[in-house]
Amino acid sequence: MSSVEASGVDDGTEYSFAVEYSGPPITYDLPRAVPINVERIPVAAVVAQVSLCDKLSLPVVQPLLAPDPRSRKFSRELKMLSSETTTVVSPTSVIAFDRSNESRGDSKELELGSEATVSPSSVTAFEERDTANQGCVLSGELSSSGALEFSNGRYGSGELSDVANSSRALGSSSISHERSRELLRRAGSSSTIEFCDSFDKSLGSSMELRVSNGRRKESLDSNNYLNQADWVSNESVLSFDYPSSRVSSMKVVDCKTEANCDVRRMPVVTFRDLESDDSFFGQGTQEEPETMPVKRVCQSKGKKGSCYRCFKGNRFTEKEVCIVCDAKYCSNCVLRAMGSMPEGRKCVPCIGFTIDESKRGSLGKCSRMLKRLLNDLEVRQIMRAEKFCEANQLPPEYVCVNGQPLSHEELVMLQTCPNPPKKLKPGNYWYDKVSGLWGKLAGVQCAGNPHFWVNDDGSYQEEGQKNTRGYIWGKAGTKLACALLSLPVPSKFSNSCGEQVSNQFNRTLPDYLEQRTLQKLLLIGFNGSGASTIFKQAKILYKAIPFSGEEQENIKLKIQSNLYGYFGIILEGRERFEEEALIELKNKHSSSIIDPSGNVVDNDNKTIYSIGPRPKAFSDWLLKNMVSGNLEAIFPAATREYAPLVEELWSNSAIQATYSRRSELEMLPSVASYFLERAVSILRTDYEPSNLDILNAEGVTSSNGLACVDFSFSPSAPDDDIDAADQNDSLLRYQLIKVHARGLGENCKWLEMFEDVGMVIFCVALSDYDQFYDDGSGSITNKMMQSRKLFESIVNHPTFDQMDFLLILNKFDLLEEKIERVPLTQCDWFDDFHPVISPFRSSSNSTSSNNSPSVGQLAFHYIAVKFKRLYSSLTGRKLYVSLVKGLEPESVDLALKYAREILKWDEERANFNLSEHSIYSTEGSPFSP
Amino acid sequence: MSVAELKERHAAATETVNALRERLKQKRLSLLDTDGMWILEIFYFIAGYARSQARTPVSFGPTDLVCCRTLQGHTGKVYSLDWTQEKNRIVSASQDGRLIVWNALTSQKIHAIKLPCAWVMTCAFSPTGQSVACGGLDSVCSIFNLNSPMDKDGYSPVSKMLSGHKGYVSSCQYVPDEDTHLITSSGDQTCVLWDITTGLRTSVFGGEFQSGHTADVLSVSINGSNSRMFVSGSCDATARLWDTRVASRAVRTFHGHEGDVNTVRFFPDGNRFGTGSDDGTCRLFDIRTGHQLQVYYQQHGDNDVPHVTSIAFSISGRLLFAGYSNGDCFVWDTLLAKVVLNLGSLQNSHEGRISCLGLSADGSALCTGSWDTNLKIWAFGGHRRVV
Repeated sequence: MSSVEASGVDDGTEYSFAVEYSGPPITYDLPRAVPINVERIPVAAVVAQVSLCDKLSLPVVQPLLAPDPRSRKFSRELKMLSSETTTVVSPTSVIAFDRSNESRGDSKELELGSEATVSPSSVTAFEERDTANQGCVLSGELSSSGALEFSNGRYGSGELSDVANSSRALGSSSISHERSRELLRRAGSSSTIEFCDSFDKSLGSSMELRVSNGRRKESLDSNNYLNQADWVSNESVLSFDYPSSRVSSMKVVDCKTEANCDVRRMPVVTFRDLESDDSFFGQGTQEEPETMPVKRVCQSKGKKGSCYRCFKGNRFTEKEVCIVCDAKYCSNCVLRAMGSMPEGRKCVPCIGFTIDESKRGSLGKCSRMLKRLLNDLEVRQIMRAEKFCEANQLPPEYVCVNGQPLSHEELVMLQTCPNPPKKLKPGNYWYDKVSGLWGKLAGVQCAGNPHFWVNDDGSYQEEGQKNTRGYIWGKAGTKLACALLSLPVPSKFSNSCGEQVSNQFNRTLPDYLEQRTLQKLLLIGFNGSGASTIFKQAKILYKAIPFSGEEQENIKLKIQSNLYGYFGIILEGRERFEEEALIELKNKHSSSIIDPSGNVVDNDNKTIYSIGPRPKAFSDWLLKNMVSGNLEAIFPAATREYAPLVEELWSNSAIQATYSRRSELEMLPSVASYFLERAVSILRTDYEPSNLDILNAEGVTSSNGLACVDFSFSPSAPDDDIDAADQNDSLLRYQLIKVHARGLGENCKWLEMFEDVGMVIFCVALSDYDQFYDDGSGSITNKMMQSRKLFESIVNHPTFDQMDFLLILNKFDLLEEKIERVPLTQCDWFDDFHPVISPFRSSSNSTSSNNSPSVGQLAFHYIAVKFKRLYSSLTGRKLYVSLVKGLEPESVDLALKYAREILKWDEERANFNLSEHSIYSTEGSPFSP
Repeated sequence: MSVAELKERHAAATETVNALRERLKQKRLSLLDTDGMWILEIFYFIAGYARSQARTPVSFGPTDLVCCRTLQGHTGKVYSLDWTQEKNRIVSASQDGRLIVWNALTSQKIHAIKLPCAWVMTCAFSPTGQSVACGGLDSVCSIFNLNSPMDKDGYSPVSKMLSGHKGYVSSCQYVPDEDTHLITSSGDQTCVLWDITTGLRTSVFGGEFQSGHTADVLSVSINGSNSRMFVSGSCDATARLWDTRVASRAVRTFHGHEGDVNTVRFFPDGNRFGTGSDDGTCRLFDIRTGHQLQVYYQQHGDNDVPHVTSIAFSISGRLLFAGYSNGDCFVWDTLLAKVVLNLGSLQNSHEGRISCLGLSADGSALCTGSWDTNLKIWAFGGHRRVV
């Protein structure tokens, strides 16, 4: 503060203006002007013009403190800049013109050693400009500092009084100082900020406050700061609009809100905050580095409507607009100014900047001029680049959902969802996760007169709205009225139910992320078709944790109690065999030896099926429980207790003998032997079922209901060709829904619930052809025929009118084994199966090395064709068939991947049909079958 | 025994069964014929009563019944709804896998319960309004306490799982004035009375017992005046009346429908009940005589007969509301069997099939749920009193 020029403050006059002050620092209190007229109380601040360009990160600016220290700090900061600054201050303030501000302005000027222009307050349309500045403009140099000015002589008090407040103007000028400091340090750029107020009582006088920070002639970098508003003539009201829109664009940088062209409100907010609450400014600037890259603004030195580059033409010549800085170029200059347009219509220095949000709508829409200048292909490429290049995408933080800006991932997810919002614009949105509805937050709550609903606790809400609008008990008027009318007042407010609920809703907000593409596959199969095996296999294949701890425990118990069931069947069989053996024995005895005494019979009463008394007791107890039907209720608890007994029983020769005749026990399922042979280990308490155990186990998935599993094909899966599409696949999720045929009911009444599935997977066990099924009413049908009946009824169901069907022919391993013993013609449907079997085929090894297929394979193809013919006769479409061995993970994996391919192909086919110029038409193709 | 022999036997047995069935039908028809005069008498009595009591049939002006609220929020087809006894709350179940509890007056959502199994077919409010029950393809009837908080995944904890059905749970209803008992119907051809506190079956109606339904049971309705009696409708085209104390056999079986009985609902006086069926008719049966009192059938031009999906009686019983699969919702005059109004033709009616409907406890409003994912509340728009 070495040289401070005196600022002449004439308290006696109505005007105050700055005069050079060379005395010592002021020690006395500077007098303040008092507002004269209430009508002149300003409501909006003066606009500021800031042009920013930085590819670097913005430095964090310290928050400003109280007004007086601020001015000192400013001068210090400005000193550091050692830049030439021209500050033109013409304060004509009547309203709250702060003296300290004035002196601050002075000190700035003086310290920077630049010329200060003192303008008399009565001057209208102050048009002083730095000559050097003009020189720049005239020479057409790119780095010229423009001057924005606008003053209003005629509408001064009326129109501008609401935007003009000189003290606020200075407040905002302090922003510009801050800003210019940053700019100068970084880019060596220049900026011109002007504030113009006019609120003199005497009409026609205007005040111009110009703070021009630095004419940086040396900043010859390509950045071009042209102030568009510079050429706006002073006398027009229109000129007023430009800077105000500039202010709002600056606001974007400042406050991280969306580009909002609210001319009036935003500046008011900013500057009020700036003055009254300094911490705001601190916050604002601290957040700045996150909003990179900032918006560029261009200023033209030419006259209004001319090209920004050649300054020729008028507003009627056709021009192309830069989507970032709004610079307009005529057809001669556009290609030079915009270059090859790697990001669409941006002038070269603007490349890499985010676009002006108001121009988002025109992205990808080519102008006539461009079409004329470039050829078709180029135009298409440029428009494509404009639409899809990264810099032009909507910044996620501009989209606020329920008050929170989206993250990048959320935005991507939003835009890749099956039904993305069209033309997503920045703004505040609401989203109701329960209904899935969303919309833009508008200022108005409800059209018309909404009804209000008052809850018990005094909170009231608008009809159909969730949020509480207020509490009647919280209003002073209510209390007063209650006191006056001596109405009862609740002592304290109970916690409102409505609020609680709304909290619950808010808490689970990220739930909408779940609504990604989910393809549903419906898995249906007749009893014993192995559909549940495939379901379990899918769970094991695609889930990181196929079964939770609880499920695992349940499976274990299920397997163990199943095992007891099998034992029961064996024990029953043993009793039967023992009786049979005894009778046989008796017959033998009676026929061979005529013995009068019963002793011999007693001695020979032991057969190989007889067991000792202890196992016998256990066996009786087990059978008794089985008969009473509470096996499941007892066994989870009893497992540990009886495990040694079972072990002993299993090793008993009688049981083994029975087991060797297991083919005679109809009740015993084929998988029983798998478990019985492992009985000892299974019945241990520390038994952990293996995947194979789980696959073999019966009744593990809910046998009478429906089960579903969500999964996605892992991209790292083997033998899966990795291409770009697969990356996407990991996002795609599939839901396999297993429905039990018994639960379907007679006429598949509720199949209509599954109208949204992508595909029906119908499961048929190949080995069913010689099996019979008893439906409970005594009628016995072939299981294959039963499967066929179910298949027909599902295919014919109106819900699945255009649905794709994948037929899984399961249990091929069993078929291969069985077909050697039982001919396929056992089933009526397959009575014309007469395979031609190569005589050279080795009888035992069906997977022969030579080309002739095994009978099993022949049978598979035969059955597949049968189903295909049936399907096409019903629907006229093609049936997809897959061969599966349910116990082999690879084959199930292949089948499900096949299903995925079919679904994918369906989607692509739809695309082909949509595109008009498709040359890939499947019709008439010589390769189509 | 060879396969051929088996087949032969089967064919013979089937023939016998068919012959017996035919004889049964004949017998039933003849019984109905002998009773014909009597039925006619009752009918005339009703008609006469109708004439004396309400000389003019019920007639509605265009604004008498208007849609005054649309409850939007579900994203899937609405399958079921139920009103509370006292407050104006509605619970609705939808294929989006959620139950939503609504405030019918303000159309606000009070609770949204995410279900572990999305394929829900039915839902019911407990008499105290403290909990809701729902059931569906998972064959389990789940009870949710509305006061318990949600866990972090947005699921409400299931306070009770009533498992034991071997088929889907098609319908459930709380026993009036008891929060602890519930009757469900299921695709396994049975109805079950549950004790919710223990989660066990108190009694099973049908199934292996001879006089049970022979196909999926689709609907139950408990007698409002005598909560021991309930009626069930089934895919075997019959409705059966049950006494909860006697699980072994149905009290009475009601024949008459020619298609699956989708819905049954007791008449407010508890002596009659209405049914709605796939054959496009609604019928009114008397539980004391076991006879059919009235058929409600609207002739349609084309062959495609819309199914009746759901019915409800007005509080006096004079009106029968019936939802149809083509989006119609007729208001029938129960006495004269005339259509008074079609809600489906009114302004802002549903766009899809009406899947469920229910009357509020005080009878002042009707709520309809539809496959267009919305629920609508209809109430008298004029100054008339509720009939």
